[in-house]
Amino acid sequence: MNPPKTEHEALQAILKKAYRQKENVAVGDQWQQEVMRRVRNLGALETTPSFPEMLEQLVWQLAPVTCLLIFGLTVLFAVSDFTSGYEVFQLLMNGAEELTFAQFVGL
Amino acid sequence: MDNDSPTPGDTEIVERVVAGDVHAFEHLLRKYQNHVLILLKKHLPYDQIEETAQDVFIRAYRALPTFRGESSFKQWLSTIAVRACYDFWRKHYQSRELPMSSLTEKHRVWLEEAISAQSSQSFHEQSLQKEAREILDWALDRLSAADRMVLELVYLEGYSLRETADLLGWSITNVKVRSFRSRKKLYKLITQAIPG
Repeated sequence: MNPPKTEHEALQAILKKAYRQKENVAVGDQWQQEVMRRVRNLGALETTPSFPEMLEQLVWQLAPVTCLLIFGLTVLFAVSDFTSGYEVFQLLMNGAEELTFAQFVGL
Repeated sequence: MDNDSPTPGDTEIVERVVAGDVHAFEHLLRKYQNHVLILLKKHLPYDQIEETAQDVFIRAYRALPTFRGESSFKQWLSTIAVRACYDFWRKHYQSRELPMSSLTEKHRVWLEEAISAQSSQSFHEQSLQKEAREILDWALDRLSAADRMVLELVYLEGYSLRETADLLGWSITNVKVRSFRSRKKLYKLITQAIPG
């Protein structure tokens, strides 16, 4: 059974009113003293950043340098005659008996 | 939610506390204790209010160095209070061992009358708010912690989606979707409880 919109609205109004009734509940006044006692026990606040916070700051400070480095290395590898590990392995397997050390390192 | 601009008095007090004047925190406590209590009374069971109020102010004290004054202190404190309520319900649902309360025949009859009443105004005046509250608690108890918080903030308190998102630290889309689903769940629960 689905109530039509007007019934929804009526129900919402009733529930809202019931919900707001909770504001009138009385609460004791001892808890504030307990808060201040705990605050005094905690003492003055630490304003110097903790190690993880300092590390986080450092990471963010180094982030642009890291990005530039990655970009630079990518460009370098792209323009140079890069030989992948797989190709070196193939070379060794196919002609190992003919390959001298000097040839292998490209001298 | 209040959108008042940062109060200079509060900012000065916060600076004093952060600089090491622990006792200055009492000014903030006295100034905003009622605001926090009203907020907690609406979201939590009666026996949890004092303990959570303490927790809210201790959390606020610890987080004071992060207060930048971008919003008012009151708004910042409200965020801490609402998130403390959400944390309470999450823990409560995870560790719930007691069986959930059920509706009595009296509640069901009351609910039927409430929904079918032609004039809700006249019904408000005649009806017993105790029953309404019990039915609401019964229904809210059957929702998840997240659905419960969104439903209370948006549907019952009238916060906007953006305000709710800020208070809970969620995205607006998440609040929008949850608000729609939780409202649907609430009506389903209530209409299923009506006899016939």
